[in-house]
Amino acid sequence: MSGFGEFSCSQPLSLGVELELQLVSLRDFDLTRGATDLLATLDYDESYGEIKLEITESMIEISTLPRDTVHGIASDLAGLITVLQQHCRNNNIGLVGGGTHPFHHWPERRICPGERFDGIYHRYGYLAKQFTVFGQHVHIGCASPNDAIWLTQALGVYVPLFIALSASSPFVDGVDSFFQSARLNAVSAFPLSGQCPPLGDWRDFIEHFSFLQRCGIVSSIKDLYWDVRPKPEYGTVELRVCDTPLDIAQACALTALAQSLARWLLRMRPPLSTALQAHVARYNKFQACRYGFDALISDPLAGGQKPLRQWASEVFVALAEDAVALDCAPWLAAVQKQLSQGGDAQWLRRCHAESGNLNDVVRLAAERLRSTLCIPGA
Amino acid sequence: MTDQRMQFLREFWDALLERLYFLPPFPEQMDSLALFSLLLVAGLLLGEWLHRHFNWPKMIGYVLAGILCGPSLLGWISSEALAQARPIADAALGLLMLEVGRRLDLAWLRRTPELLRSTGLDIVLSFSLIFLFAWLLAGLSPAWAAATAAVTMASAPAVVLLTIEEARGQGQVSERILLHTAIGSAASFLAFALVLGVIHAEHSDDWLNALIHPLWVALGAWLVAATGAAFALLIAARLPKRSLPQVFVLIACAMLAIGCARMLAVPVFLTLFLMGVMLAARDRQQILRYTALPEGHWLLAIVLFVIVGASLPWQEFGWLSVVQAVGLLLVRAAAKVLALQWAGGSLNRRRRLLVGLGIQPLSATAVFMVYELAALYPEVGRSALALPLFAAAIMELLGPVLCRWSLRQAGESLDEQKGSIG
Repeated sequence: MSGFGEFSCSQPLSLGVELELQLVSLRDFDLTRGATDLLATLDYDESYGEIKLEITESMIEISTLPRDTVHGIASDLAGLITVLQQHCRNNNIGLVGGGTHPFHHWPERRICPGERFDGIYHRYGYLAKQFTVFGQHVHIGCASPNDAIWLTQALGVYVPLFIALSASSPFVDGVDSFFQSARLNAVSAFPLSGQCPPLGDWRDFIEHFSFLQRCGIVSSIKDLYWDVRPKPEYGTVELRVCDTPLDIAQACALTALAQSLARWLLRMRPPLSTALQAHVARYNKFQACRYGFDALISDPLAGGQKPLRQWASEVFVALAEDAVALDCAPWLAAVQKQLSQGGDAQWLRRCHAESGNLNDVVRLAAERLRSTLCIPGA
Repeated sequence: MTDQRMQFLREFWDALLERLYFLPPFPEQMDSLALFSLLLVAGLLLGEWLHRHFNWPKMIGYVLAGILCGPSLLGWISSEALAQARPIADAALGLLMLEVGRRLDLAWLRRTPELLRSTGLDIVLSFSLIFLFAWLLAGLSPAWAAATAAVTMASAPAVVLLTIEEARGQGQVSERILLHTAIGSAASFLAFALVLGVIHAEHSDDWLNALIHPLWVALGAWLVAATGAAFALLIAARLPKRSLPQVFVLIACAMLAIGCARMLAVPVFLTLFLMGVMLAARDRQQILRYTALPEGHWLLAIVLFVIVGASLPWQEFGWLSVVQAVGLLLVRAAAKVLALQWAGGSLNRRRRLLVGLGIQPLSATAVFMVYELAALYPEVGRSALALPLFAAAIMELLGPVLCRWSLRQAGESLDEQKGSIG
């Protein structure tokens, strides 16, 4: 079929991580145009993975090689960011994490050259420039296409948890949005964003995709901006809801959580109530984006609400055995601490409260990414 | 005809004055505020018209308005009016130089050897080749040839800054054009201070002036700049960052420095450039780092370029001046392009060429330096410096076009993407 090839089965629970990073001017820490200049002059042998363009010139994407463990991912991310940071310094550009830039003016963004980006700009107009937001995507390897579809459905329930734990985009257009993750509001403007519809297996997915193709809605798998989607050419399931964290350690911790959760899900195979979950998915996602750890998550099976903190604690307890088996326990312990200490969004707000301006917030975020290249536990 | 009308008006006014004792005497000179407004409107109209119809940089329109209204053509702006407008021009140039100084990123220069190479080569090649051209081919004395080289070796900070702002230029070509311009200006100002002594030595037996004048200029500018920067940081530290009061403090301290420089007879452009550099270097707490000049500085820029256009003595330029000035500009262009190409570095050859072309402007600072030097020995200085002055006059019109073209070719101008959605 067109749109994508056969599902390339991969090592189960193998990992790959993509991070979209901000390119800022070191003069005022506003976003700047720099991606094509950086890539045009980069001398790098891809030993840690790839460095690629994203939709606008103020973004750059790094993607690791496929790895079996989170430690491998950590090593690749550290290598990629070290290479990129050195090159950025030579070009007087700063590299920053976080889901949104706190004060950039979106009309000033430049679309990267290339047929694909030009196509997106023509198709989506100003949304393409507003899509200058920064996310972390985690790929989890699956042994079969049917496993991939099942895992896509199963992970969908945990989307609010990943949103809350990764939230690092409280500021938009120079103001506090009151959201913990405002990034996903930019994503939700796209017509094919949101949840994967209830699908039973790989054949269902192919039929659904063919239907969308016949209707002229999609031409490639890249047109599906689902929160969790299968990625046939890599043989993975791609979790796409996380904000880019402010440092590598947090990116690795989220990856560890995704791997442990996937192992637990595939091992336990809990019954899925996808049709029922679909009714509350948007509400739960909003709660996580808006309130982060203070969200109230609706449970359609029990017919009530549960604080996200409590739900997260229960999940961490359930995953303990799988985390140990995957050597992910230290990472999970670090991410679990955030439930009481606060995450990246709170850190950014603290910086703002102390400095009184958003330029310094970005400066401090750039320093944080630079200073945390040595990862504990790696 | 105009004189007759003025005479009639004056007599009529005097007649009125005999009966209406509250009237002021007939105004012999235009009020400086009114003059400011007229220059602003004239520059604005022509700049906008040329920009809209031919997509030319607005600055060209401002300069053309000055040339048109100035003593050389229509004579609407007299030489006296020009002298009266000098404080406004000083303020405008001062603020722009302050901004260029603030953007001189020494840390970037220190950690990037290729930039040290390219800026160093640009300075050495530009000064040397222009000096040799002015001395050996244009027939100037070594002192005036050195003065010509000092004045024309650097790119025009005001033109480059405003062109990049107008085009919303972002990227390596824009950043390097700005860095080359700032470093080149610093070198040019240093050469300018040294040349002051050389000119005194050539034209006078009084060695005291030859020694003290360069020191007076350099140390005076340094002292005023350091005091202004320290004062600005001291006050601004008590105000919220990026706040409007901080903008006022920045402008007020800049105006104070401009006033002090004028009182001490040290060049305003040098003083304010140094003040900008010190503000950037000493601001370790990022007190004023994010505080930008308001958009209003464009108003002053318009007046600056109108005045510069009006002050160019077109009637003094002959055919020989044209040939010599074109020769000087070609030599200068070659020096800058060659410097960028020889220095190598991570940018590809095409982009290095675009940086080389982007740093071609020559404008207000050069014109002001010429007048400072010519004022030392007016009887010889005026004719000796006709060459750099005419070169600057040509580049007033050509420089912004080249700089803008470079940004566009590099794909760094924002209007590249305007309207590209069908």
